[in-house]
Amino acid sequence: MEASPIVTSKQREEVVHGVPTEVVCTAFSNSVLVVVTQYGKMGTIVYVDPNTIGDNVGRPSLTTKVLLGKDEPLVHVCAKNLVAFVSQEAGNKPVLLAMALKDKTMEGIQALREVIRSCQVW
Amino acid sequence: MEEEGGGGAAGSIALHDFSGQLGEQRVHFHAMRLRDSLFLWVGAAPALASLAVAMCSPRDSIPVAASLLGDPSDTASSCLAQRLASKTKKQIFVSYNLQNTDSNFTLLIENRIKEEMTAFPDKF
Repeated sequence: MEASPIVTSKQREEVVHGVPTEVVCTAFSNSVLVVVTQYGKMGTIVYVDPNTIGDNVGRPSLTTKVLLGKDEPLVHVCAKNLVAFVSQEAGNKPVLLAMALKDKTMEGIQALREVIRSCQVW
Repeated sequence: MEEEGGGGAAGSIALHDFSGQLGEQRVHFHAMRLRDSLFLWVGAAPALASLAVAMCSPRDSIPVAASLLGDPSDTASSCLAQRLASKTKKQIFVSYNLQNTDSNFTLLIENRIKEEMTAFPDKF
């Protein structure tokens, strides 16, 4: 039986800097799931969690934890760059990020951020 | 492109929502088909509290599973992921968010998913 979905999702397919990219964002009550893929797969899964204590400027700082995949500094940097704004705009909810990226350049990440923004469900 | 994923190209991500009245409970499902893999969320309320992954292994007849998020002693997500991996031969991500983890109940859940997989094979 086809029911009205209990969770809201938005998806988008776009060519970002020459790379076909798919983004799916799903809003849960306690978190946001963001899938950003240039391989069609889940790839590396990172849990991006805002700390309640915050940094000196009053913004909550983000803890990134790689749940699945290569745990290297670039992964943490990409994750924070991609979804820090999602967590913030969602009212400091944690973000579960699944990313499989071919292009990890600064420009690439910036462009991907805009695609994520266009799938706003939070 | 923002509507629920229709029957797009085979490579693209497809979203599929369904639900079922299992016993006294209405259970919701949210499936996301990716390339050779599937993400499946199961719950009664829209929260995501656990995540597990499973895939078939050439060394073992039982798919290997790992708990990624939530209480690792709660094996409901990984058990369901294992069973679905065994059926579909795909990499399966499961987020099982129901209090009831009784084996009879999870069997109902599994059957409901398999029923939907048979009815909409292109969504899984």
